[in-house]
Amino acid sequence: MTGVAQHIDWLAIAPPLVLACAAVVVLLVDAFAGPPRTRRGALVPAALTVGGVVLASAYVVGAIRVYATDGLVRRTFCVETVLEGASPCSFVVDELTLAFWAIVLFGTFVVALLGTAAVAEGRIPQGEWSFLLLCSATGALVIAASRDLVTLLVALEVVSLPAFGLVGLRRGDRRAAEASVKFFLVSVVATAVTLMGISFVYGATGSVFLTQVDVAISTGAGPREVAVVGALLTVVGLAFKVAAVPFHMWLPDTYVGAPVAVAAYLSVVSKAAGFVGLLLVLAYGLPDLAGSWAPVMAVLAAFTMTVGNVVALWQQHAVRLLAWSSVAQAGYILVPFGAVAAASREEITEVLSRSTGYLAMYAVVNLCAFGVAAVVGTRYPAQRLVDYRGLIREEPLAGWALAFALVALAGLPPGMIGLLAKVVVFSSAAGPVTWLALVMAVNVAIGLVYYARWLMELFRPAEVAGGSTYDVPNGVGVAIGMTLAAAVVFSVLPGLLLDPVLVSAATP
Amino acid sequence: MMIDLLLNGLVSVPAGFALLTWLASGRERLAVVTAVLGAFATFAWSLWLAAAYDGPLGGSGSTIDVVWLESLDIHWKLGVDGISVPLVLMTTLVFVTALLSLVRYAPAVAEGGPSRTASLAALLLVIEAGVLGSFLALDMVLFFAFFEVALIPMWFVINTWGDPADGPARRRAATRFLLFTVTGSAVMLVGFLLVWGGADTFDITQVAATYTPSGATALAASLLVGIGLAVKTPLWPLHIWLPDAHSKAPTVGSVILAAVLLKLGTYGFLRFWMPITSPEWLLVPVVAALAVVGIVYAALACLAQTDLKRLIAYSSVGHMGFVVLGAATFTVGGVQAAVFASVAHGLITGLLFFLAGAIKDRYGTSDLARLKVLYGTVPRLGGVFVFAAMASLGLPGLAGFWGEMLAIRAAVEQAAVLPEDTYRWLAFIAALGVILTSAYFLALVRGMLQGGPMTPVTAATEVDATVELVADAVPAGPGAVAGERAMVDVRGLEWATWAPLLLLTLVLGVAPGLLLTPVADAAVSFLGGIG
Repeated sequence: MTGVAQHIDWLAIAPPLVLACAAVVVLLVDAFAGPPRTRRGALVPAALTVGGVVLASAYVVGAIRVYATDGLVRRTFCVETVLEGASPCSFVVDELTLAFWAIVLFGTFVVALLGTAAVAEGRIPQGEWSFLLLCSATGALVIAASRDLVTLLVALEVVSLPAFGLVGLRRGDRRAAEASVKFFLVSVVATAVTLMGISFVYGATGSVFLTQVDVAISTGAGPREVAVVGALLTVVGLAFKVAAVPFHMWLPDTYVGAPVAVAAYLSVVSKAAGFVGLLLVLAYGLPDLAGSWAPVMAVLAAFTMTVGNVVALWQQHAVRLLAWSSVAQAGYILVPFGAVAAASREEITEVLSRSTGYLAMYAVVNLCAFGVAAVVGTRYPAQRLVDYRGLIREEPLAGWALAFALVALAGLPPGMIGLLAKVVVFSSAAGPVTWLALVMAVNVAIGLVYYARWLMELFRPAEVAGGSTYDVPNGVGVAIGMTLAAAVVFSVLPGLLLDPVLVSAATP
Repeated sequence: MMIDLLLNGLVSVPAGFALLTWLASGRERLAVVTAVLGAFATFAWSLWLAAAYDGPLGGSGSTIDVVWLESLDIHWKLGVDGISVPLVLMTTLVFVTALLSLVRYAPAVAEGGPSRTASLAALLLVIEAGVLGSFLALDMVLFFAFFEVALIPMWFVINTWGDPADGPARRRAATRFLLFTVTGSAVMLVGFLLVWGGADTFDITQVAATYTPSGATALAASLLVGIGLAVKTPLWPLHIWLPDAHSKAPTVGSVILAAVLLKLGTYGFLRFWMPITSPEWLLVPVVAALAVVGIVYAALACLAQTDLKRLIAYSSVGHMGFVVLGAATFTVGGVQAAVFASVAHGLITGLLFFLAGAIKDRYGTSDLARLKVLYGTVPRLGGVFVFAAMASLGLPGLAGFWGEMLAIRAAVEQAAVLPEDTYRWLAFIAALGVILTSAYFLALVRGMLQGGPMTPVTAATEVDATVELVADAVPAGPGAVAGERAMVDVRGLEWATWAPLLLLTLVLGVAPGLLLTPVADAAVSFLGGIG
């Protein structure tokens, strides 16, 4: 029992630790000071939340710079093995981890700012909101660094459990409660299925560490069929989390029922957590079984984007439209997963990094769209598309931000970052699974129709003059401005966003 | 470097003026004047570029190359040669005329609130930036990106400023245009990425120099790129978006669509499809055959049209058929024919749509059954129309003739690897198409312009329609005033707008060598081994 007094690399786990500490502080402040009674009083927990995220982000930025110069990979929670070879670790901060941390922290930061609008309405308790948000984000950070199946699953639950609370946070709102319960039930089932899959994988390989699972499968140590079944069950479980069709039923109702800021959180941070889970299990643990899971993922991707886009065509409710569009976007993100059936180990990592690239783009522009939806929702809770009329003229920042986000989501100029991210995803599919690339091509066209329809409303004059002027809360204004600025800068210099994320794709 | 400034400037000048126009949109006059100035500045810039560039494509005298996205090896690579310069000049000229024509609308629209004409002008300049970028781009992804720039603005133009009489049809036309074009370009992108898989570069000059298309993947790539471009061109049977979009768009929209946007497709065939296609494939004769089917089909469809704008729109399908036929011969002569026919079509069909718009303004309809005796009422307008129609049907001595004649000749003298007999037959059928084209234009001239003197369109039913349609322009105008107003012959501003197109149609018809020589040089240097 020598492994008990384990050395812990505190620098490696600093970011999730900071968020967790911030969560506790926020909770304690709220408990002792009582719920804030004035708008000014509500600033304290909000500032603490944002401060925690900023602190963690500052650390991550530093770590990225160190990584860029030294290539330093921090590992901790490692297990001494009697076998030769590297000892497996549960927590690894490598390139992938850092990329996802950046996405998650950016997303959490923006959502924390958006939350100030919802809280200002007085229908959401500030303390609980901040606490749950930080807890969930902590889980999202941990999952990106987890390298064993148990840590991964626990982290995934840490993401989800506070999210149920967030969805149902609006006081006296039956739809929120219903959305929360629906989300909870689906999530529990998904977890159970994932757990089942993990136990199969464990049974077949004798380890929960991804590196050892990989070794066991590639050396043929365990029964391969069992591992395949385990892999597929794990995929199904995680597919619920990312809302891939046919496991997407919960998503639109949940998004619509939840406060807009929470919907934004679910669509970006929570979804990113699901994707990183998929990526870790499949690319790090089961690359040898790519021949089995890649075709499944290809079919899943095709259905996800098609169903998401086609259903989105009929939506008149802005958040519901964004919900279906996020289903469709998840389909695009899944495309690289479907393209690696015949790829080598290195190629799999490289191709799947294109999913990360797309996700990064999606995070920025989707948060931008949700930010504007949060603003419009303060006056028009019904969120009809016609409520967005006149936004360009009467609230130019919000109007142009939404317009830019929509064209970027559609993948058209001037939203060049969206266009290039689509090129990145297409580039993985063209060749190995050209049919999927063609399905995606058709989907891009379908998607454009509803984005363009919404865009049109923005440019129409408002039904009532002045009907689209808003008193935008400062926090939300900053959030929208920040995402818009990021989207514009990345459109001019796409390399800033995509070059660090994509793993040496220049040499296919 | 001078060439950097020239190439980047050609894209950013119209884009910058679009922004200025938008900013000025609170003041109608100022905004429209800004937009016109922008169009002139771009035209001057393109002339400067045409005079200053030097050397073959890829050399430092005509090309700039900056890495844009390192991880995917995407470059900001722009360049000009003899193939793109004529199209660039034609584009900037057509945009000058299009924006000039907007000046007329400027005082008329007084709906209150921000100016709609200013927005239209700004959108047109955005489209111009996108189109010019496409003609200059030498990186496949960059070409795709510029290709898409024009899409949303054009959709807005059709959707917002299109035929005011028929809202649902207008929106349907706009959406159909959007769907077809974006699907086409996405499919084209997949094709480009397949080429990238084989050639390991997005740079089309390198692809043209080193890539040897063979095998199933290369064929699929060529097919997909071809389909994408065929939608835009359009090639029969992918033309079905075109008649509606052209006929429902506002006049300037139709002009830009026909004269400029279709050329993105034909230019794409020359620049991006020919280098990735092997003439040995069956695909090439099939494309040539589809082009010829398009020529004949369009001519027959034109005979059956009852609407002037739809007729002109269908005639475009036929003209584009000649262009694609030229490209599908894989000869220098074919490339010459394609570029020449593209430029000529831009000038002539642009003019025809302006005329159709002028007629529609005056008579309130473009229904051929109700348009009679234009000679008797607006003789000058009728005269110009006959000129444009003659140019369009390919009368020798005018620009339309050379493109068609050269395309047919290129089909007879096709590249050696292509099936000779097939191409002979195609050339023969295409020549029949020319005769059919003459038939419908002559029928049009006879039906619409000629006839005995009669009282111009002031029968009761007509007046109603007229009033309804010009209501925007003359808010308080009673029927009689609208009726009189409708019969004005060509206005000064219209002369100014049409004169450059008329003149160039004549000049190119008399001296085709101006254009053919640089095109031939560029084709040989770009495509190397062909012809």
